[in-house]
Amino acid sequence: MGALSFFKESIYAEECASRSGYLQYLDARIKVLIIFLMVLCVMLSKDIYAIFSLYLFCLLLSVSSKINILFFLKRTWVFIPLFSLFIALPAIFSIITPGEEIFGFGAAGFRLSITRQGLMSAGIFLIRVLTSVSFVILLTLTTRNTELLQALRIFKVPQLFVMTTGMCYRYIYLFVEIIENTYLAIKSRVGILLPHKKGRYIVAWNIGSLWQRSYYLNHAVYTAMLSRGYTGEPKALHEFKASVLDWLSLLAVLILITLVLYLGDTGI
Amino acid sequence: MHIPDGYLGPTTCGVFYAVMLPIWVIASKIVKKTLKARQVPLLAIAAAFSFVIMMLNVPIPGGSTGHAVGAVLAAILLGPWAACIAVTVALVVQALLFGDGGITAIGANCFNMAFVEVFVGYYLYRIFSYGSGVSSNRRVIAAGIAGYAALNIAALSTAVMFGIQPLLHKTANGQALYCPYGLNVAIPAMLGEHLLVFGWVEAVVTALVIKYLQKQAPELLEEGGR
Repeated sequence: MGALSFFKESIYAEECASRSGYLQYLDARIKVLIIFLMVLCVMLSKDIYAIFSLYLFCLLLSVSSKINILFFLKRTWVFIPLFSLFIALPAIFSIITPGEEIFGFGAAGFRLSITRQGLMSAGIFLIRVLTSVSFVILLTLTTRNTELLQALRIFKVPQLFVMTTGMCYRYIYLFVEIIENTYLAIKSRVGILLPHKKGRYIVAWNIGSLWQRSYYLNHAVYTAMLSRGYTGEPKALHEFKASVLDWLSLLAVLILITLVLYLGDTGI
Repeated sequence: MHIPDGYLGPTTCGVFYAVMLPIWVIASKIVKKTLKARQVPLLAIAAAFSFVIMMLNVPIPGGSTGHAVGAVLAAILLGPWAACIAVTVALVVQALLFGDGGITAIGANCFNMAFVEVFVGYYLYRIFSYGSGVSSNRRVIAAGIAGYAALNIAALSTAVMFGIQPLLHKTANGQALYCPYGLNVAIPAMLGEHLLVFGWVEAVVTALVIKYLQKQAPELLEEGGR
């Protein structure tokens, strides 16, 4: 991913998170819990129609959260589900999934057929991946990153880990910028497409140089932390407050999950 | 090698969360004991470093590109326990904030990349570079071997996770519920691409970075390996 598209996507995600949609209105902790429960439900469900109904629910949530549906479909289909589609394709054939033949063809004594079990295996695999990815991306598009990381505290994730993750997130931007500037400097001096061997050396030198800079940056960061009152124990400044709508949403999702799992298992 | 949501069933996801939990606890305790207070930001910086390495495309013969995981490099530079935490944080950020790699599969992904790859790579590096000086060529070769072998062992572990899904989760009429390929397909497919392409990318990047640091900042190689 190019640095420019990386920054563009991040800025757009932050812009989506600041809109006044349904999911943006929810308390980040409840929202994280709801999305995690939905992903868990998608994982546990054994029925393709049940998972498909969860996918439709996800699309409904994205619309109610003022996310452009075309953007959302593009963002969720590329790259993982599209990749999974190619992975799933061979599974529809009898050589991978034997079973009841739907369509077959043969040549020179070799017969290849598409089986009902194969189609269902590939279908349920694809829709499960797509739905899970869609829910997670919906979470990232409707929650500010800082709030999302702080919300992890409800899962009893130690504050030190949350702080490290938050700091890591900020450094990623700095490092991407450093790498981008270095490449730009190399390009402006070289001016031609480099042979792959030289290209590998440049990537490795970039990584080595980045580590060198990162290591020396550590001291400056620690001094900055001390100057802002860090005493060795990380503290969270953001306090969450759940409203009635948050609890009602959680209740509604719990009912939906119970129904989906029950109806899916009983084959209704 | 990042396993997305939907590829693994609940049993596998649950087991690997359970396996990783004590590893994370031990890693936190060891790192807290060995890391000086002023080095606290180093973990975050190392995690961001690990994340960015995964973004860098390395040119490979034929005009294509691949990317390194950088877990072995992190292990050599930080030591295995700190690297375990750094790679875990990088994977969590990828999964949660960028939607790359599954939430339900974080335990499995961390087992492969933050545990298997980190520890196998670290100890192979220590064995092959045993007794060598900081600027020795043996360290460069050891880093390359460790990168190649550790990535392939981690890929094998990932392939086994994929391959056992049809055995664990199948309907009565033979329909797979998660990853549809058994061990006979998953292992050759995963190992083939890693043995032939990605393993070499990891080996070359790890070895060249060690070579660069030997020349430019040898003190960093002395600090991390302990």
